[in-house]
Amino acid sequence: MTALAVTGFVVLLVVVLGFWSGRDKQSRSSIEEWSVGGRRFGAFIVWFLVGADIYTAYTFLGLTGYGYNFGVPAFFAVPYVVIAYPIAYFFLPRVWKYAAKYKLTTLSDFVRERFQSRLLSVLVALSGILFLVPYIDLQLSGITGVVQVAGQGVFKNTAAVGTTALVVSFLLVALYTFFSGMRAPAWTAVIKDLLVWIVMFGLVLTIPYIWFGGWGNMIHTAIIKYPKLLTLPGKSPHGSMNSLWFSTAALISALALFMWPHSSTGALSSRSAEALRKNMVFLPFYNLLLFFITWLGVVAFMVLPAHPHDKTFGNFALLHLIHASYPNGVIQGLMYATVALASLVPASIMVLAASNLFATNILKDWLMPSLSDSSVTLIARGFVFVITLIALIFGILFPTSLIGLQLEGASGIVQILPAVFLSLYWRRLSSTAVTIGLVGGIAMVFLNHFTLHLPGYDGFWGLLVNLVLVILLNFAFQGQVEKNLETNKLLKDELV
Amino acid sequence: MRWLILLIIVIGNVGVTPLVNKLFPLVLGIPFLLFWLLLWMVLSPLLTWLIYSLDNRAGRI
Repeated sequence: MTALAVTGFVVLLVVVLGFWSGRDKQSRSSIEEWSVGGRRFGAFIVWFLVGADIYTAYTFLGLTGYGYNFGVPAFFAVPYVVIAYPIAYFFLPRVWKYAAKYKLTTLSDFVRERFQSRLLSVLVALSGILFLVPYIDLQLSGITGVVQVAGQGVFKNTAAVGTTALVVSFLLVALYTFFSGMRAPAWTAVIKDLLVWIVMFGLVLTIPYIWFGGWGNMIHTAIIKYPKLLTLPGKSPHGSMNSLWFSTAALISALALFMWPHSSTGALSSRSAEALRKNMVFLPFYNLLLFFITWLGVVAFMVLPAHPHDKTFGNFALLHLIHASYPNGVIQGLMYATVALASLVPASIMVLAASNLFATNILKDWLMPSLSDSSVTLIARGFVFVITLIALIFGILFPTSLIGLQLEGASGIVQILPAVFLSLYWRRLSSTAVTIGLVGGIAMVFLNHFTLHLPGYDGFWGLLVNLVLVILLNFAFQGQVEKNLETNKLLKDELV
Repeated sequence: MRWLILLIIVIGNVGVTPLVNKLFPLVLGIPFLLFWLLLWMVLSPLLTWLIYSLDNRAGRI
């Protein structure tokens, strides 16, 4: 009970902070203020904000769940985040410069201006929303998981309490996002990440001693008793998570990281391109945490009793590990609160990004061009509740294996890479070729997932088809390219 | 040069997985695959920092 009370208290504190960060009316005065904080965040806040995008329920529950279920394949996340930053270093600051100059707030905006193509821009926005919803759903599980584990023996029906807590906490988050915009996740991310660092160091320093008497002995035990867990494919079904899967999953996830609407929106809220460049050098400090968190999944497998009949046990392996390791309710509560916040803070950025895509790139650009700027801002803010409700409905009706959802999402979202990354370096890239590539790539992802089952990662085969289509078809549309080069103000800039 | 460094980072991290997918030799008591990932986790930001300083020197900001 103490644990739950502490968790609830910390979460409420952060919700209050979320409202407080938007006390200034300016934070919701325009779409640029609301969705990217008026582009005023310095390197320090961006560091927390982008960190908040990455250290989500996906890391704490998804990756440890993978570690628990499969062993070392979960470590694909390490090279994933390691290479994500150097790749982003090459394109994010450049996209930022255009975004700042032309007041763009989404990648879809950038694509519209770069290609002068509404069709491509709308497709990019639709992909963003479509693949973001499962990612938001993954965040929901952070709350239900905490209530399920912390509520053992406290409530008669933990599932019902969990659903109630889920709905209440997400509506509160939607409300402060509606109110404060990007300033809310920025400030709450600082608290969340401070807790994350403290809790992670606490876990890393104490868990090996609690269960094994030390680091050396922990690793030694793993090598002697579970050698199969420590090389690929671990104990993944049919050995599917082999080296090819590992490499392609890491590469595609890395390429996808800043294609996600929430990460790119977070990055665009930066004050300068220089703040972004610096962040790509210093963000990797977070990676150290990721390595140990993933390892805790393997530890959970070694020390917790097996639950062969409970298929979702792995998803909450970290929470069960915390429960079994620390008898103190306050410590448990702080740790559960960290996991809960790691779900809520990123969820706030995600719903914000999805709502902005809908209002700006689908309604204003396509369906209702006559909308005034102030109506777009209001619709984007109101749409926060719609996206939150859609995510809640899906999350409650179809709770499935956590990480699988996000992985499929990454496979899908990475297909906008040619539109965003290639387009910066390849001036004679045509919008029609990129559009066909995008559609073909996404089709290939689904095709491989449901019927072809080629080894490796779905997104890899999708991106391959995508790139081949772009390269083959681009020659056929050079007339279109000429026209774009002549009339596009963005391509005339020296920024490229 | 900056693209070459990026290529090295990508290959080091995900280009040689089948070759390093081993339990032994243990390095610092850590299984080899995990050690390799840990090693590149440290090397990659240093290489990114190198690109950053090269860019600064070239005035490409």
